[in-house]
Amino acid sequence: MTAQEARLCGLLLREHFGEVVEKIGTHLLRSGAQNLRTIVNESGTPIDLVKKSLCVLMKHGACRFSIGRKGPGSPVEYQASCERILGILRYPRYIYTAKTLYSDTGELIIEELLQRGHMTMSSIVKMVADRLTHNMEEGRSIEYNEVVSTFSKLVETHFLQRCPPVSEVVPPVSTAPTVPGAPAAPVSTGPPTPESFSDCYLVPSVSLAGRGKRRRSGEDVVLDQGTTKKAKTDLQTHGDEGIYWQVNFERFHLHFRDQTIISAVASKLDQAWESLGTSRFDSDYETSSEIVRTMLRMSEVTTTPSASCTQALSANEVFRSLPANYSISRPILDQYLTLLVDDPMEFVGKTGDSGGGMYVVNLHKALTNLARATLESVVQEKFGSRSARIFRLLLRKRHLEQKQVEDFAMIPAKEAKDMLYTLMSENLVLLQELPKTPDHAPSRTFYLYTVNQLATARMLLQHCYKAVANLIDRRLFQTKESKRLLEKSQRIEAIMASLQASGAEPEQLTEVEEMISAPEKQQLESLRHHINKLDSAENQVDETIFLLKSYVASTARITR
Amino acid sequence: MKTRVLEEGQLDLLRNSSGLLYRMKDAQSASKMKGSDNQEKLVYQIIEDAGNKGIWTRDMRFKSNLPLTEVNKILKNLESKKLIKAVKSVAASKKKVYMLYNVQPDRSVTGGAWYSDQDFESEFVEVLNQQCFKFLQSKAEVARDSKQSPMIQRNSSFATSHEVWKYICELGISKVDLSMEDIETILNTLIYDGKVEMTIIAAKEGTVGSVDGQMKLFRGVNPIIQPTGLVKTPCGLCPVFDECHEGGEISPSRCIYMTEWLNF
Repeated sequence: MTAQEARLCGLLLREHFGEVVEKIGTHLLRSGAQNLRTIVNESGTPIDLVKKSLCVLMKHGACRFSIGRKGPGSPVEYQASCERILGILRYPRYIYTAKTLYSDTGELIIEELLQRGHMTMSSIVKMVADRLTHNMEEGRSIEYNEVVSTFSKLVETHFLQRCPPVSEVVPPVSTAPTVPGAPAAPVSTGPPTPESFSDCYLVPSVSLAGRGKRRRSGEDVVLDQGTTKKAKTDLQTHGDEGIYWQVNFERFHLHFRDQTIISAVASKLDQAWESLGTSRFDSDYETSSEIVRTMLRMSEVTTTPSASCTQALSANEVFRSLPANYSISRPILDQYLTLLVDDPMEFVGKTGDSGGGMYVVNLHKALTNLARATLESVVQEKFGSRSARIFRLLLRKRHLEQKQVEDFAMIPAKEAKDMLYTLMSENLVLLQELPKTPDHAPSRTFYLYTVNQLATARMLLQHCYKAVANLIDRRLFQTKESKRLLEKSQRIEAIMASLQASGAEPEQLTEVEEMISAPEKQQLESLRHHINKLDSAENQVDETIFLLKSYVASTARITR
Repeated sequence: MKTRVLEEGQLDLLRNSSGLLYRMKDAQSASKMKGSDNQEKLVYQIIEDAGNKGIWTRDMRFKSNLPLTEVNKILKNLESKKLIKAVKSVAASKKKVYMLYNVQPDRSVTGGAWYSDQDFESEFVEVLNQQCFKFLQSKAEVARDSKQSPMIQRNSSFATSHEVWKYICELGISKVDLSMEDIETILNTLIYDGKVEMTIIAAKEGTVGSVDGQMKLFRGVNPIIQPTGLVKTPCGLCPVFDECHEGGEISPSRCIYMTEWLNF
């Protein structure tokens, strides 16, 4: 965990959970695993605040507890997870993916779960149904069953999973999270992964009948049965008490990875639509990416997430699994597969000839190529296309002398030297010395320029973290600067809403509106525009972060 | 009598195993060297031996065992008589090599087609670069529009280095003659730009453009990703990124690049 990551985690925690949680969270991140007393003493916050912060962190999976290091009798230790906190940056992407795959219902389910961490199925269903009904027109509401079916689909495709039950070996003195204990399980040495439990993806059978309730503003929830007390609703049991669900981030990450590979194949091998007329279906021109998409879909359940390439699929299977609207013939499919295999990017490889040819998707190679393209694009944008040429040249040829760089890249000597030195000062290019004599005399040593892709990727990842932290800082700063203006506009809006609800005349409304002057309105508008721009920039940098992190993780797995 | 003929420089004195030999010098070379003494003749001989690569002054000293001042004087003398010339080497700009006046300097000295008067011609290389790329791109588009089976499409989007060479020659933008290897170095720079990819196929010996039974094929490609997210923010391109931290002179709150970018 680096300084940049710690700073970013602090900013994210502060924005989502407040300053107290930020303080405890960053303290835990910096100091590793600690027990409750130590946290209280070192951070100087009262014990009940510490307990509450730990609860919040644990509910969101950012902190976990384990038996103390000194043995079974020692107090429980808590450890914060940097990865999970950085995942907060990616929430908008998860929600958007759920929306594209499962429409509004899926989007709201994921959104609710991300906001609350762990929830039971019945409470999710009720909340989502209420929200959907609220957004629909008067008189229409949504059945619980529809929400339940979307929920089950999400579980089937492994986007949601049950939270792992906690073993009872942990002494009850500790601040237990809201996950209740299951019957005593054997002591595990490491934290149990959700997938080590066989019921992980089993949807419980619940008796949920009813429709979403529309919330009237300012009134309590009105039930069909006629009771008006909100407390009574919460006491209704639905048979799934104690089964909590959480978002399966790994599955989302696999999905993102697959999407990136498919779009890379599409841009490399498929036609550019802009240059063609639109008289034919677009599907005719996406065939290569469609084939790769089919192969990845078939491998979703058969391949482990950490594999470097998918399971081998025969061409017959791929042909059978293509979507129905793709009516390409078998020889054409074989040609496409051969083209994919021959491509220098090596997205797809051929491992055998049985069943019409066995093909795999090379996940690790694809990630490496994508990471390399990312590095090249950063160098190109920051230093110009000729420096990018030198960078790509060094990536291909590994080690080159100064003279050879000039000759291959066809750049005059003076400029090439200048560019190489600039790249070296940014640590993108390294110098390797090869002495000819034991005394390492400079005149008798080879000096070779080289690029180390993995190290450069790691360095760029840290830059990305710093860039996101800078963007968040700037956004908070701009909000703080215009605090007075924002408060004023909020007050005006509240007055307008109450006047409208109580039925005022148009003159009163316009009078209230005019309390904000035109330049102030413009200022507000530009502030909104700035905040949106900063927000979307954070999401864009997060895409780069995801790509580089997947590459680094995949390389670490390969070399282990 | 022998000495007089020798003195007049019309005879060459040589020694072999049995004794001394005399050889008649032909009239032309005799007239050239008339008036020069033996040292100059020696230097001239060495330069002639160096052929079209020329010889450096220091090497000249080693070979002739003459002191530096002498060598320089003789070289200046010969140059004024227009018997030798000095050519600046492209590798080290201070180094001068001497060769006979009417000899063409070798490619390694002048740098070949890309150098004119010791200057690397960047614009020429750029123009060639763009022309080759346009040729390959249009070929790929024609192949794509032909709407045949994918294998044929891809194969027809390839161009051999020989085809590209012919195209460039016919364009006539080059003052000097370019060989196929020159075009291949230009195409390699396009590969390093990420715009072109290359494969090598086996070809029959007799086919046009094949070298050692192989042919190089080039085709234009699209990049596999769009410019990455980091470079869409000012921080990704900031020249003072390393000095920026909260509370310092350069900080996100006061960053002028961000202000410009937000107001864009």
